[in-house]
Amino acid sequence: MKIQVKLIATYRDHLPPGTSGNTTSVDVRPGSSVRDVLAPFGIPLDGSTVIALNGVTVPLETTVSEGDRVAAFSAIGGG
Amino acid sequence: MYGWHGKLLRINLTSREISAEEIAPQVSKDFIGGRGVAIRYLYDEVDPAVDPLSPENNLIFATGPLTATTAPTGNRYMVVTKSPLTGALAHSNAGGSFPTWMKRTGFDLFIFEGRAEEPVYLWVNEDEAEIRSAAHLWGQDVPATTDALLAETDRNAKVACIGPAGENLVLMAAIMNDKDRAAGRSGVGAVMGSKNLKGVVVNGRKNPEFADDEAMRELSKTIAKEVGVDMLAGSSLREYGTAYVPQVTNEFGILPTHNWQAGTFEGVDTIDGPTLTEKYLIKPKPCYRCPIACGRLSEVPEGKYAGKGEGPEYETISAFGSGCGVDDLAAVTKANYWCNELGMDTISTGMTIAAAMEMYEKGYIPEADIGKPLRFGDADTMIEMVQKMAYRDGFGDELAEGSYRLAEKYGHPEVAVTTRKQEFPGYDPRGAQGMGLLYATSNKGASHMEGDVVYEELFGVPVKEDLMTTEGKGELVARFQDAFALIDSSGLCVFLALRYVFSKERMILPTRLAQLMQFTTGVEATPEEVLKSAERVYNLERMFLLKAGSTEDTLPKRMLEEPLPDGPAKGHVNRLHEMLPDFYKVRGWDENGVPTREKLAELGLE
Repeated sequence: MKIQVKLIATYRDHLPPGTSGNTTSVDVRPGSSVRDVLAPFGIPLDGSTVIALNGVTVPLETTVSEGDRVAAFSAIGGG
Repeated sequence: MYGWHGKLLRINLTSREISAEEIAPQVSKDFIGGRGVAIRYLYDEVDPAVDPLSPENNLIFATGPLTATTAPTGNRYMVVTKSPLTGALAHSNAGGSFPTWMKRTGFDLFIFEGRAEEPVYLWVNEDEAEIRSAAHLWGQDVPATTDALLAETDRNAKVACIGPAGENLVLMAAIMNDKDRAAGRSGVGAVMGSKNLKGVVVNGRKNPEFADDEAMRELSKTIAKEVGVDMLAGSSLREYGTAYVPQVTNEFGILPTHNWQAGTFEGVDTIDGPTLTEKYLIKPKPCYRCPIACGRLSEVPEGKYAGKGEGPEYETISAFGSGCGVDDLAAVTKANYWCNELGMDTISTGMTIAAAMEMYEKGYIPEADIGKPLRFGDADTMIEMVQKMAYRDGFGDELAEGSYRLAEKYGHPEVAVTTRKQEFPGYDPRGAQGMGLLYATSNKGASHMEGDVVYEELFGVPVKEDLMTTEGKGELVARFQDAFALIDSSGLCVFLALRYVFSKERMILPTRLAQLMQFTTGVEATPEEVLKSAERVYNLERMFLLKAGSTEDTLPKRMLEEPLPDGPAKGHVNRLHEMLPDFYKVRGWDENGVPTREKLAELGLE
C-alpha cells in the first residue's frame, strides 16, 4: 500500500536524490508501522525526532493505513 | 560589582537633563535585570493609566546581567514601556550587536522621560552622554538614519532608531537596531516617536566583569555542548532560520491562513525555509557572538521585488505569506525589507493587512476607501499597503491603527484576531490549545515571546503534551511564562531556553540560569529562588496590566466559536474555559485573574 512521506527541514537530505520538494511516496506491506515506513530513508531517529501521522504526533510503532501521510522532522523550536 | 554595572542613565527629554543613578543591589537581586528591573522602574514611576504617547510615559531600554557576557546568546536587550497598541504593558526584545554595545557604556538601563521639543538623538560614549539634534534625520528611513548617525558619532558605535512609522505614531512601529533587528511588538517605536527621539547611539569598552571567570568559561562550554545540536553547521536553524517552521505548523493545521480562516496553506512549499535557502539566502547572520545564527542575510536579486536585507523569519512568512494568501516568497521578503526600512513589526503589519483583505472580500470595506481592490494573494497591493501604513497615507492611516481598531471601525470586530488589541503570532490556538491560554492571559497581548508553549505541545518532550488536550495546560503555560520572564530578564535569547525545553530534566533551565548568574554576578541563588524572581517579575507585570485597565483574559470570537474548517485540527475551537480556572489556581490568582494578597506577600510585592 502507498504511504506519503514528508521529510521536513534537515531531514529533507534523506529523500532520494532528484526528489522535487519534500514529499515522496513509498510502498509498504499492510500492517507496517511508521518505523517501517521511515526505515529506507536512513534518518537518525532519536529522542528529538517528531513523527506526525496525518497531522497528529504518534509513536514510531503506530500502524499505518493506505493513503496515510507520515511527516518527520527534528524537534527544534523557534518562531 | 560583577555582571551588572548597577547604574542607569536617566534622560529627561523635556528638560534635556541627563543623570546617572545607582540601581539598588536588592532590586537587581529581586528582579534579575532586563525585563524584570525595567518593570520595577516602570511600575514605580509611570501611572499605568497614562496615555502611552504622552510625555508622562517612560521608555526603558534594559540589558540583563548576562548581556555582553560569553554566556551563549548573551546579547539581548528589552524595550519596556506602556503600549499604544494594547494600552497594556509592552516588553519587546532584540539581539544584533546594539545590546552588547549598550551594556559596554557602563549602564544597565536607559530611562527616557518626557518629550523633546525638536527631534533629537542620544549619543552615549561611556560616561559622556549627549542629546543632539536629529532635525536633519526626521523622515529618513532606518538604514539612512543608521548610516548618518554612525558618520556623526563613531563608526564603531551601534545604533537603535525609528523609521518613518515611529515618527508617524503607527501603532505597530518598531525600534530597529543594527538596521535589521527589531524590538518589534506593541508599538514601542511609536512611543519613541512621540518623544521626538529618533535614535540612540552607544559605544564603550566597559565589559562587565565576571565574579568567577573560570567557572563561567567551563559552564559556557557545558551549555554549548548540551544545546549543541542546534548550534552546529547543518542544524535546521542555521540552515533554514525559523523559516523551516511553516512546514511544521502547516502539517499540524495551525498555520494561519487567509486571516485565520484556515489552518493549512496550499502554497506552503513555495514560502518555506528550503525555498529561502535555495533562492535568496546569502548566508546565515548571527547576532553578536551567537552560536545559533538563525538570522538570514538575503537578497532577491532581480524582478519587481528585488532588494537586499535580512529575513524573512517564520512570523513574517506566516503573516505576509499564508496570512495574506501570498505564495511568492520574493514578495514576502520584499514586504519584510520594507518593514525593516520603515520600522514596523512584521506580525501586526501583515496580520492587519490580512484582516483588511478579509473585510474587503466580504464587502465590509468599500473599495473607494482603499482606493483599489485588496484581495488575498495580491502581493503587489499588500506591499503598497505596507508603505502607506508607515506614512499614514490614504487607507494606510486606517491600517496604521491595527486590525482591532480597523475591524471595529467598519463594524465587524469579529474579523480582528487579537488579544488586548495585539495581532496573534503564527500559531492557531484552535489546533494548539495551550497557545490560546497563553494569548488570553499574556500581560502584553498575544505574543509567542511570552512563552512559546506550542513547542512542548507539538513535540511532546519531555512530557507528552497533546496539542488538543486542555488538561495540564495551566501549569504548562505558567511555567513557560516564568521561564521566558527569566530569560528576558537575564539578557539571554529565548532560543537558548527553547533548546532546554526538550530536556528530560525539568529544572535544568533554571539550574543553568542560576549558575550563569551566580558566576557572573557573584550573587548566590538556587534554581528555586531564580524561578521565584521570574514569578515576581510576571506578577508585577500583571499588576501593571490590571492598573492599566486591561482586565479581561479572553480570545476573539473566531477562536472560541468558529471551528477550523480544514487540516488535522478541523472542527476544533479553543476551549479556553477549560483551562483558565486551572491557570489562575496554578498562578495563585483569584477567579478574575488578580494576584491574591497571599501571592503578592509571598513574592514581596505587597
